[in-house]
Amino acid sequence: MNLVLRFVRRELRSTEARILVLALAVAVASVGAVAMFADRVKGAFANQANVLLGADAMISGDRPLPETFAQTAAAMGLKVTESSRFGSMISAAAKDAASATARQSVLADVKAVAAPYPLRGTLEARDARGERVPLVAQVKPGEVFVDERLASRLGVKAGDVLEVGKNTPRIAQVFAEEPEVAGNFLSAAPKVLMSSADVAASELLGPGSRATYRLQVAGERAQEFAAAIKPKLGPGQRLETIRELRPEVRSTLERSEQFLGLAASFAVFLAVVAIVLALRRYLKRELDTATLFRTLGAGQRQTLMHFVGQFFVLALIACVLGVLLAFAAQAALAWAVRGLFASALPAAGWLPLAKAFATGLVLLLGFAIPPLVALAATPPVRALRRDMPTVGSGGVLAAVLGAVAVLAVVLMQSQDWQTGAIFVGGLVALVGVATLLAALLLWCIRRLVRSGRMARLGGPQSWAYGLANLDRRRLSTALQIACLGLGVMTLITVGFVRTDLFSAWQKSLPPDAPNRFLINIQQDQIETIQSLVPKTANGKPVAVYPMVRGRLVAVNGKTVTAKDFPDERAKRLVDREFNLSASASLPPANKIIAGDYYGANDRGVMSIEEGIATTLNLKLEDRVTFDVAGEQVEVRITSLRKVDWDSFRVNFFALIPEATLAPLPKSYITAFHLPERDTQTLASVVNAAPNVLAIDVSEMMARVRSIVDQVARALEFVFAFTLLAGLLTLYTAVIATQDERRYDTALIRTLGGTRSQIRSSLIAEFTTLGGAAGLLGVAGSVVLTWALASRILKIDFIASPVVWVVGFALATGLTLLAGWLGTRSVLTTPPIQVLREG
Amino acid sequence: MTAILTPSPVANTLSSQPPAIRADALTRVVPLGDRQLTILEAVSLNVAAGETLAIVGASGSGKTTLLGLLAGLDRPNSGSVAWHGEAVSSLTEDALAKRRQGAIGFVFQSFQLLPALTALENVMLPLELAGARDAEKRAADWLTRVGLGERVDHLPKQLSGGEQQRVAIARAFVADPKIVFADEPTGNLDTDTGAEIVELMFSLNREQGTTLVLVTHDPELAARCGHVVRLARGKVVS
Repeated sequence: MNLVLRFVRRELRSTEARILVLALAVAVASVGAVAMFADRVKGAFANQANVLLGADAMISGDRPLPETFAQTAAAMGLKVTESSRFGSMISAAAKDAASATARQSVLADVKAVAAPYPLRGTLEARDARGERVPLVAQVKPGEVFVDERLASRLGVKAGDVLEVGKNTPRIAQVFAEEPEVAGNFLSAAPKVLMSSADVAASELLGPGSRATYRLQVAGERAQEFAAAIKPKLGPGQRLETIRELRPEVRSTLERSEQFLGLAASFAVFLAVVAIVLALRRYLKRELDTATLFRTLGAGQRQTLMHFVGQFFVLALIACVLGVLLAFAAQAALAWAVRGLFASALPAAGWLPLAKAFATGLVLLLGFAIPPLVALAATPPVRALRRDMPTVGSGGVLAAVLGAVAVLAVVLMQSQDWQTGAIFVGGLVALVGVATLLAALLLWCIRRLVRSGRMARLGGPQSWAYGLANLDRRRLSTALQIACLGLGVMTLITVGFVRTDLFSAWQKSLPPDAPNRFLINIQQDQIETIQSLVPKTANGKPVAVYPMVRGRLVAVNGKTVTAKDFPDERAKRLVDREFNLSASASLPPANKIIAGDYYGANDRGVMSIEEGIATTLNLKLEDRVTFDVAGEQVEVRITSLRKVDWDSFRVNFFALIPEATLAPLPKSYITAFHLPERDTQTLASVVNAAPNVLAIDVSEMMARVRSIVDQVARALEFVFAFTLLAGLLTLYTAVIATQDERRYDTALIRTLGGTRSQIRSSLIAEFTTLGGAAGLLGVAGSVVLTWALASRILKIDFIASPVVWVVGFALATGLTLLAGWLGTRSVLTTPPIQVLREG
Repeated sequence: MTAILTPSPVANTLSSQPPAIRADALTRVVPLGDRQLTILEAVSLNVAAGETLAIVGASGSGKTTLLGLLAGLDRPNSGSVAWHGEAVSSLTEDALAKRRQGAIGFVFQSFQLLPALTALENVMLPLELAGARDAEKRAADWLTRVGLGERVDHLPKQLSGGEQQRVAIARAFVADPKIVFADEPTGNLDTDTGAEIVELMFSLNREQGTTLVLVTHDPELAARCGHVVRLARGKVVS
């Protein structure tokens, strides 16, 4: 071990070892920085989305929650608030006997809360001009806060007194919105906030009352708390997260994470290229050391152990260096985007750094061990015969182990087999194609040079020489084309993801997406409502969908209850009522993925959303029974639909034919876009149809849109970073064969080659290399982006010839530039100096 | 053809001891496309302990191949090599490496110094590989003996060709080997420097009592050796 350490110290004097350590450190740094930054950004998104929950995490139960939950949260330093939520009839307190008989009662959604409430976000009131302003007051005992809808329904205002059970609290505030918009908003009733200290006196919650008891927490360790509590949850207790409550938010968060995860995977890709190249150069040099070791009496085993040990220590040094760099780089990234986020980014976790560290070790050892085995087997007689074949690459074993290492690393990053398979498959395919392309290219060059056609075509002899050089270094050329191609592919794909794919996603949330829902519309009110609300973009009345509420009671004739499902979400779905609807044709933002959408003559069939089908373990041809107001309705699943929740349209999990729906008791629902300043439309809707409930989702949409915008900005920084790492890698790839070139060029100069001849020969080489790599990179990126768009991000693939042409031109140009910068010194250095240095 | 070297007077007095190197009917054949090329054919020789032997011949005559076989760096297709009576050509690769450790020194035409190691570290290497504890002191002593006591911390590229070869000689002798093999030790040096190197090598050889086998083109260098084997087309001609 001592010898290994001494050797590492000595080795680090050499350029090759330093480049290897640096390449690995940069690779680890970029993987770590991107992953760490992505993690922090994801944390920030989750926090922002959780504002919709009013907390960072929430546990709810059908009965009061055990005190240990709150104690655990407090012990973790989290802010905690407990509340209960229940429905109750609320009325204005009678001023006299006459008004007592005439007064109106409204079923309200009552939340009994204790300060501080809410933990995330703020209540909002309206100022004199109708603008929303934050409301920072807390509900005190003897008071209630009511929302605008309740105030308008009961005709009350701040200062009036209400009857809430046995209590008669005073209305302290009328609020416009509270941050907690999650939950089943279609059933949202007007809201009342009361102090939890008043609950007992109100006598609203007796034994057997239907209420939800909630514990909300906020703080840095909220997710840790959630994870710790999850296994301790008893029957009827649930961990609520925004992802589980709102499909729109879930898909937005997942998409953001995918984009950020992709950026990290690209960094891994570039790391592979950098490591393979640096390793090759280093191993070539280590061949002499291995030979000498063997000559001086080191056995094969001793030699192997020495080199493996040496590589391990070098990798450790590089990884530590890389992790430090990663920490600094992500801090710099976070600093650069500090203005983008409402609050400071959450602290970075150590997991991404640990992953980056492991990435470095796995990649280096994965790629290095097979060639090291070959290196250790170097015959000692090579000391006498330098012309012996150089070290093998480890052959198939090296390729397999390398691919396994990449797969392991990508899986570590994305934890998703599909992404891993696409990346590794892409890598293997690319290397294969690169080898073929290089072989074809070299064959053409050989033909061109040997036939002398080059000269006849008017090409200068130095071009022929330059091309012949590529042919002479076949293996190097093929590897270089593959590596450059890989780099170019990654960069073009990064550019593509950054622009086209991303805007495709952004477009799915248009500014005129519906922001108001009207529910509980009766059949005879449809026309009135359609005449009052804004028409669609093409001048048609808004679409109105029927809605029937039914509880899932049996599958294939077998009764089901919440207990039959282990999955929390499934339990909840079975506990609640489904909204069934009908649509003669497949609604927009829906896609059939199995079976066929029902036709006009079909009866007793259903199209179901794929996610919910998976959760409830339903498949095509299953018979599903719903209980609709006491009546049993059985339908057969004939299609599975994928719903684009990002669209914020009216979407239903279950669609059945109009004829099946017709005899059932139903109401109607619609959604439309209302400009923020339009307060008149809703007022006239409520006047014309007092039973209709208007729901404002603009707040939630604003949050989702702000997340999308922030992802866009954060991605720009991350991709800029990846781009920089990519350019560095390309530079390494180009100068990989610089030593040989320097030597050859010096030799030509001693033999009388002029500078212009050499210049022209180098230009020929680098242009051909860059062109081939550009071609390969563009082709690879087309396939990769298509695979990413269609398989992972599920976004339409848009062909963009401009990106391809620019990519190809840039690849050729940059290769030429980098090659030129790397080799031009040979034209000014005296040849004898280069030759002497060997 | 077989060449048995005449034992020298020194060797005579120790004739009861086995020769330092004994080669019997060494043949080396390498595949060349679809045919076999015989590089060495049935070469036999003995070198007594403390002797000096020069292997000479035209380019391609098989000199370096013979040196590689005698030094145990390569294996013959047939025939055998023994060092001090122990047959080494039948040993496993690792066992052979172990025998070389400390017992055999090498001087190469291209010096074969590791570029990232200082002169001192290059000389320390054989001792370190053998696990010696006093490697640094012994290496420093040897560098002083070859006249480079002031340049221990210099990297090979900071040394002239002659100095590099001195480092290589110190490395060859540092582990007190019984046999030193040298492949064209002056091949990369100018005449004067070459002469100095030859002088150094022979004087160290005398002081240490090692057996020295060298390959050379240089008739003057060959003439300084106790015995000369001349090869032509893989066979010993004199």
